[in-house]
Amino acid sequence: MASNAAAPFWRSAGMTYITYSNLCANLVRNCLKEPYKSEALTREKVHYTISKWADGKPQKPNQMI
Amino acid sequence: MAMAALRREGRRFATPLISPNPANVFRSSLIPSEEPVLSGVRCISTQVVRNRMKSVKNIQKITKAMKMVAASKLRAIQTRAENSRGLWQPFTALLGDTPSIDVKKNVIVTISADKGLCGGINSTSVKISRAMHKLNSGPDKENKYVVLGEKAKAQLVRDSKKDIELVMTELQKNPLNYTQVSVMADDILKNVEFDALRIVYNKFQSVVSFLPTVSTVLSPEVPKLKDLVVHYVSFYSESGGKLGDLDLYEIEGAETKAEVLQNLTEFQFSCMMYNAVLENATSEQGARMSAMDSSSRNAGDMLDRLTLTYNRTRQASITTELIEIISGASALEG
Repeated sequence: MASNAAAPFWRSAGMTYITYSNLCANLVRNCLKEPYKSEALTREKVHYTISKWADGKPQKPNQMI
Repeated sequence: MAMAALRREGRRFATPLISPNPANVFRSSLIPSEEPVLSGVRCISTQVVRNRMKSVKNIQKITKAMKMVAASKLRAIQTRAENSRGLWQPFTALLGDTPSIDVKKNVIVTISADKGLCGGINSTSVKISRAMHKLNSGPDKENKYVVLGEKAKAQLVRDSKKDIELVMTELQKNPLNYTQVSVMADDILKNVEFDALRIVYNKFQSVVSFLPTVSTVLSPEVPKLKDLVVHYVSFYSESGGKLGDLDLYEIEGAETKAEVLQNLTEFQFSCMMYNAVLENATSEQGARMSAMDSSSRNAGDMLDRLTLTYNRTRQASITTELIEIISGASALEG
């Protein structure tokens, strides 16, 4: 996904639109008041395991928490 | 007390009298006939049947519990899946769905469950992925798999492990949410080169029917997508729609149309993924529910059959004992 046009600052930092929008969403979530804030933050937990495969063999898996 | 003593006596006497052959009629359907008869146990043994009944009953309990769990999970996730359909519908309305597009680098995103015991949904999505692979293969074409879920991985490793690019598992440790799926989509975008992403999943229709579905997300570099967008923009502006006024909006950071398109496809992919993952999770729970329902029904049937055999065997042995006692008594009398 190489962009050849003049890129916005976040894209030249190697971010995709998804990362950018997630960061923004997280900022907004942090602006909530307390009972809602922790609720919103616990709702959006990220957890999965990813492993890249090369030549038919799995590389070391990475935990995303 | 006396009856019990009698029965014990009868058992001791009856053991050599009854040849093993008629006993096998009862046993053959339950245990392998070469299994040695335990010492001190009558040939027509009800012990084995009783153990079998107990284990079947336990299995039935487990499947019933799994069905309950799946039903409650299904209800929670079904509404979320149905709500998430609103995310991809505008994209399909704008860009259309082009499942038959012919591009060089295909990436097939196979979505499956981490756990089994949910009917055929995992093998369905693997089958469809293989079909997509075959359909799009050709000279100077590339097909890669991105696999979500343990089960599809186990099936795809067997014959096409060379083509697997990324494997993601343990999705459902926490309840599924958009942030998680979008981070995963981000990982896919960053690690895989593609012209078209084909997401294969089971779309939830009802508890018993799931539609294997392919959603296609095109890379912004594919000329077809640009054509499509230009076409739609002109169509909307001609018909006095809102989209033609896009130029009136002030866009942050002086982004070009290509930029907007790239952002749009990235966002489209994460939305499609979110919906696909949710739909597949819903289908999984639904399939598990119906699978567990039928398996507990089967366990019930089996239990009925076993109970019948058990009672018949018991009745037969009681009758034999009675006959033995009565004939013995009458022999003593006479």
